Amino acid sequence: MKRILVAVSVAAGVLLAACGGNTTAVTNPSTGGPTMPIPPQAALIGAGATFPKPFYDAATYAYNLKFSQVSINYQGVGSGAGIQQLTKKTVDFGASDVPLKPSEAAAIGGSDKVVQIATTLGTESLAYNLQGISGGQLKLTPDTIAGIFLGTIKKWNDPALKTDNGSLNLPDQDIRVVHRSDGSGTTYIFTDYLSTVSADWASKVGTGKSVSWPVGDGASGNGGVASRITQTPGAIGYVELAYVLQTKMMQAALKNHDGNFVIPSAAGATAAANRFIGTSPSQFSIVDAPGNDSAPISGYSWIMLYKDQSDKTKGTALVDFLYWLVTDGQQYAVNLHYAKLPSRMASYDIFVLKDVSSGRSALLSVSS
Amino acid sequence: MGQGTAERVAPPPLVVTRRQRRRISGDGVFRAIAVAAAALILLIAVIFVVALVIPALPAVTRFGLGFFTSRTWDPVKTQFGALAAIYGTVVTSAIALLIAFPIGLAAALYLAEESGLRLLRGPLSFAIELLAGIPSVVIGLWAFFILTPLMRDKVDPFLNHTLGFLPLFRGSASGYGYLTAGLVLAIMVLPIMIALSRDVIRAVPRALREASLALGATNAETIWSVILPYARVGITGAVLLSLGRALGETIAVTMVIGNRNEISASLFASGYTLPSVIANEFTEAVGNVYLGALFYLGLVLVLITITVNVLARLLVWRFTGSEPTAA
Amino acid sequence: MSRPLVRIFVDRLVAALIALCVVVAVIPILVLLLFVVVKGLPGLLTPGFFTDPPHPQGVPGGGVLNAIIGTLEIVGVASLMAVPIGALIGIFLSEYGRNQVGDTVRFISDVLTGLPSIAFGIFGYTVVVLTTHHFSAISASVALAVLMLPVILRATESALTLVPQALREAGLALGAPRWRVTLEIVVPAALGGIVTGALLAMARAAGETAPLLFTAFGNDLVQTNPLQPMGALALTVFRNALSPYPNLQDQAWAAALLLVLLVASVNILARAYVRRIQR
Repeated sequence: MKRILVAVSVAAGVLLAACGGNTTAVTNPSTGGPTMPIPPQAALIGAGATFPKPFYDAATYAYNLKFSQVSINYQGVGSGAGIQQLTKKTVDFGASDVPLKPSEAAAIGGSDKVVQIATTLGTESLAYNLQGISGGQLKLTPDTIAGIFLGTIKKWNDPALKTDNGSLNLPDQDIRVVHRSDGSGTTYIFTDYLSTVSADWASKVGTGKSVSWPVGDGASGNGGVASRITQTPGAIGYVELAYVLQTKMMQAALKNHDGNFVIPSAAGATAAANRFIGTSPSQFSIVDAPGNDSAPISGYSWIMLYKDQSDKTKGTALVDFLYWLVTDGQQYAVNLHYAKLPSRMASYDIFVLKDVSSGRSALLSVSS
Repeated sequence: MGQGTAERVAPPPLVVTRRQRRRISGDGVFRAIAVAAAALILLIAVIFVVALVIPALPAVTRFGLGFFTSRTWDPVKTQFGALAAIYGTVVTSAIALLIAFPIGLAAALYLAEESGLRLLRGPLSFAIELLAGIPSVVIGLWAFFILTPLMRDKVDPFLNHTLGFLPLFRGSASGYGYLTAGLVLAIMVLPIMIALSRDVIRAVPRALREASLALGATNAETIWSVILPYARVGITGAVLLSLGRALGETIAVTMVIGNRNEISASLFASGYTLPSVIANEFTEAVGNVYLGALFYLGLVLVLITITVNVLARLLVWRFTGSEPTAA
Repeated sequence: MSRPLVRIFVDRLVAALIALCVVVAVIPILVLLLFVVVKGLPGLLTPGFFTDPPHPQGVPGGGVLNAIIGTLEIVGVASLMAVPIGALIGIFLSEYGRNQVGDTVRFISDVLTGLPSIAFGIFGYTVVVLTTHHFSAISASVALAVLMLPVILRATESALTLVPQALREAGLALGAPRWRVTLEIVVPAALGGIVTGALLAMARAAGETAPLLFTAFGNDLVQTNPLQPMGALALTVFRNALSPYPNLQDQAWAAALLLVLLVASVNILARAYVRRIQR
């Protein structure tokens, strides 16, 4: 009798110990990799960039299937809006292709009040709509891209374009430039690239989430730009790769830093990222990367959240989700033609996520 | 019998009877509730004003009246000016009225007629009421996918070809822009124009019409010389109310205006309107000045629409002697 | 040509022009309905349209369940706020409002009807979203309620004014207190007009998009908690229209058709109700 009692209490003790604490772990059978924390029940709201939206949509859907107690509502309203709504505390996390700049950090109370993690790596394409010219055939160089978006190259059969595309039958048609109308991290990465490769662009327009576009029509979101290009003959615009591939748009081959014409791809993004080892929120630009296969207009996308979470349950669910996003969740990014986060970035993210706390207690409890 | 026959009438009891008390408090309570409800709408109006004016102040103090003459809209340098948006609003509304006024007035004349072909009157009324009820986003959806390619591929090139000597119709057309937005607004404003004009024309005394016809005037002459001059004030009111509607239309216009903060002479060009800028940039405006500039735009828009609407209702009321039937 | 003939010619010409304009005036609604039905019906008939929320790209299927529930709930809550208050204000105006206060209320109501719909979105955002630090369906309901209020109060006042004064006098002569006369005699007599006004206001609210953009915010998941962001049919149409994915664009058309059917049926319902009451 006594032995049975001891056995039962030992078993109970083990069970209690295993179930104790606010995050228990479940071994992941598919990867056998790091154990995923089980989040508490929460409904999370995020807003921001459309660049990673296809990935975030797939990831939040999968996460909700896995842990039905957590629902994540992500709205792609543009990087600018994501940061603004995080500043106003109307969302739990903001997403932007560009980390906070000094003025935004000041508005939010200082860059030490937020945690910024890189969640995915992508690249931008120049998508176009031309009859008779299929995808990948059009070759664009830094100079021609700058010329098109500055408005100095107005027609498709401009001599500057003909130089690189001698074999193509470029029509005598107006180039209809499409750009973003909302404050966009995608725009930032694109204008960062143009400012790097074209002194003309740097002096006349510059870099930013919203710039004074010399020419072109504005559309809302990566999706809006993609949609506008598909519907407008003669259009060209900058769009994140996932949108281009999913809607089967035509994209140009871009001349990279080393002089090779590459078709933007996830592999190209990885090649570019690997040229910049010390990436952090203050040093995040990877455009115009050297390397044979580097895609020239690449960039990370970031998620930012407050370091001090006022709601402990929500905060725990949030960091648990983000931990999953940068580890197991990456498989959903790969399926959608984003590049997998380099492991050094994932490590940086986890390291920084451990700083997130509510009151005094850190919220993320994982072994690694 | 009772008190009335006594020499001295006993004063009314100091204690209020139950019946009296219930009557007083019932009416009083009800009236108090109704008054409270009315006070609520006054409160809403006050909150509205406060909610619009206060966030606009950083921009008002920074830019003052120069806001209305500046074409720059640069969030990076925090320089904002409303001129391009005002221009777009004015141009698209003007196009809308130029199209909707003649068509609407003609249709209203038909509807208000007593004699003549009755056949289409019912269906026309029904069609117009249906159109009035279609949500703006549905019209925007149709305009975005169907009207825009039509404009770009057929209508704009045709106009360019025939009227291209005018600066209005020069330049390449993407299908988005002032002309398309103006056309969309015309469709949305047509029901109001027709309904109000019909009321106004019906308010013209029959005796006047009949006298004119009796004197041998044709229908057309009666319309031109008798009905329209008499109804001038009311019709102006109808036009103003339609203008008010056109000025404030947000969603359908945002989908086809092209989202470009520019002033162009060509109607094919893309532009911006006051409501579109606000709708597009509100959630992402970082900083008090940027957000303030958007609120400033909103303030301008609200003031213009209020002025136009109030003026219009005064004119229409005075003429028809009753409330305008379309909201 | 002799003068009389010119005049007759002009008369015929004007008649023809008027006829032309009548035809032109009917074209937009016909074309609109044609396209919405033709492009929206396939999506409407797709299995899962009514029962599933949207799926991310790569996962087939999906629908607008989140938006349907969202529209119903947001408009429902807005009506719960706007109808009683609007009716009360209408009663105030007709029974106690023949004075300056009443005129001020009427003026404000007129001003509100003319405001651009984006102004109500700004109202909802500053009054509810910023103070609660949360996008929510309730902030959208507040914005829509303010939008609906003038419509309902005007309809109520009109309906009450149409009730013959004799009815009121008869009630008062029978000794009923004023409030009972109003509530139990006048309002029921005017109920047709009040209900119609409420239904029309609801139909209008269901179709509005701008007030929802920065209040309800949107939600791809089915959400019933009014304190959370929520999707809506109007938002789905707006956002999907601007998306590059054909399946989402089809859903936009289908959601648009659904909205049109919803709005049209509420309008028809309101009209049928009025006719029944009038018998």
